Amino acid sequence: MAHIVIEAVSKRFGANQVLDQCSVVVEKGTVLTLLGPSGCGKTTLLRTIAGFVEPDAGRVVVGGRDITAMPPNRRQVGYVFQNYALFPHLTVADNVAYGLRVQRRNRAEIAVRVAKALDLVALGPLAQRYPARLSGGQQQRVAIARALVLEPEVLLLDEPFNALDAQLRLAMQIELRKLIARVGITSIFVTHDQQEAMTLSDSVAVMRAGRIEQRAPPLEIYDRPDTAYVAEFIGRANLVPVRMRGGKVEGMAIAAPLPDGMATLIVRPENLRLLTGPCDGWTGRVGFATALGPTTEYEIDIGGGATLRVLAARRAGEAVIQAGQAVCVAVVDAAACRVLAGNRGDDG
Amino acid sequence: MTADALRRPGLPRLLRRILHGRGFWPAAPALAYLIVFMVLPIGTLLLFGFVTIERGRIVGDSFTLAHLDKALHDTLVWRLLWRSLWVATASSLLTLLLAYPVAYVFAELRGIWRMLVLIAVVSPLLTSALVRAYAWLVILGGRRGILNQALVSIGLIEEPLRILNTDWAVLIGMTQIHLPFMILPLLAVLDERDRRLEEASANLGASHTETFFRVTIPMSVPAIFAGLALVFAVSYTNFIVPQLLGGGNYSTLAVQVYEQTIVVLDWSRGAVLATILLSTCFAFVLAIVAFGSWLARWNEVAR
Repeated sequence: MAHIVIEAVSKRFGANQVLDQCSVVVEKGTVLTLLGPSGCGKTTLLRTIAGFVEPDAGRVVVGGRDITAMPPNRRQVGYVFQNYALFPHLTVADNVAYGLRVQRRNRAEIAVRVAKALDLVALGPLAQRYPARLSGGQQQRVAIARALVLEPEVLLLDEPFNALDAQLRLAMQIELRKLIARVGITSIFVTHDQQEAMTLSDSVAVMRAGRIEQRAPPLEIYDRPDTAYVAEFIGRANLVPVRMRGGKVEGMAIAAPLPDGMATLIVRPENLRLLTGPCDGWTGRVGFATALGPTTEYEIDIGGGATLRVLAARRAGEAVIQAGQAVCVAVVDAAACRVLAGNRGDDG
Repeated sequence: MTADALRRPGLPRLLRRILHGRGFWPAAPALAYLIVFMVLPIGTLLLFGFVTIERGRIVGDSFTLAHLDKALHDTLVWRLLWRSLWVATASSLLTLLLAYPVAYVFAELRGIWRMLVLIAVVSPLLTSALVRAYAWLVILGGRRGILNQALVSIGLIEEPLRILNTDWAVLIGMTQIHLPFMILPLLAVLDERDRRLEEASANLGASHTETFFRVTIPMSVPAIFAGLALVFAVSYTNFIVPQLLGGGNYSTLAVQVYEQTIVVLDWSRGAVLATILLSTCFAFVLAIVAFGSWLARWNEVAR
């Protein structure tokens, strides 16, 4: 069942078209990530759902209610701000109680619900602290408890891990994923970090210039990117100009339903391997090798200024192929490649 | 002047410390100035209250608490102190009520309008308090005062109001004259406040009004109390406004200090009253500041 429906929402700030007929649907109880570089409109879209931004056109429907014209304080949409926006003059417990006090709930009910919300994020012992005395991770949990205590229809999170250091980030991502699964709340995340998008969501929507470029489950969007933009944004990809002939990539066993002419082959670095003998692929020289331990990353110059990135698995004791050595680069699994029409597949 | 020039051997070490030093050294000139031109004169003045003066000379070795004792047993002094206190308190609160909306609106404005509001706020400081008090004399003055004439001519009242020479005139005058001291600290804090907190409040269900009272005002408590302390201190010790707008029979502690010293020439009594004025002023301001920081104790944690 569609829980959040965004229909052709547009927003212009001055000369800047931030959202351009943007549409997306989130199923009930699932987690969607809006992924994209800064300026792609992802935060504006989230703020539109919360009501902080008034769209120029389009509709926002949550749980069957059209909330496009509703003021933010009546939307019942939980929002976790990028820097958490905790009230510095209130203790943790008072921050969480804020929304309930606004609703004029009685003291006993507030006490019970606040305690429950704090338990949910394991912050009970810190209830009487002021936010300034909390770590980044603790502040994030307060912000989430403050939103969830009101039992909102949906939960929106704007780059919730940005303020955390890398160590804490992964732990908190998994923690949050579990929490959201336990509560079962329909959620939308905004992030520019593709790894975060993969960890957190049931579905990823890659945004570009105010539109959704592709929307699919994380692995599918990784395996089958629709455009070069998506391929480069989700993980790493080699975009190689190739020539099509008779429904096949010239010189390779890769089939694609494209007319003869120029096309772009998208191949992930881990789907390439290096051979010292001849092969049907590209010949080149090792430009640079980075030994990462379990894998080795190679940059291969294949002539004409083009390079291929190859991620090769490495067994213990295996030596790294030295820079300058001639190699042949072959595709491991032809079925895992994508071929897009046009040179460099600029717009799919 | 470059740093190299300062390192020349001829330059006295003291000057170098003041210009480049750490700790209190850069504040040394101001400190020296205040000691010579403020602390010493005030100390001398206050001393007059505790010695016997005969024919304009201090009688040697005549330390006495008699003047202070007399003043503390004088019901007039207590009445004046009470009036000073309530006039200053009322004027501070009135200033706050008028200043807050101005500062709030300023923070919402953009471009040229900001500049205009800022100029309007600061420009009264460019004229002397005396001139402004006289202006109020013209506005509030008796039958032919501008205010009464206007009110009568639009038919709002039939008889001219008696405002001049009452507490009201003093309050109105003081509040207007001290308004910038309240607006400026509020303006700085409200303008730099974190608007996301207000968005968070709205997101949690609060209306604009609720957000204002639950978030905006509590967050500006430090500025509110800075302004209150400032306005209280200048109102409590102001003697021009009560003298001019309060009329000949109107007096506060500050007015008495002036009259005893300049008119009656009883320096001992003037000095004792000044001691009372100064010490109570300190005590009240400290109380205001202490109450403010107790209310904003979260602010201490945040530092």
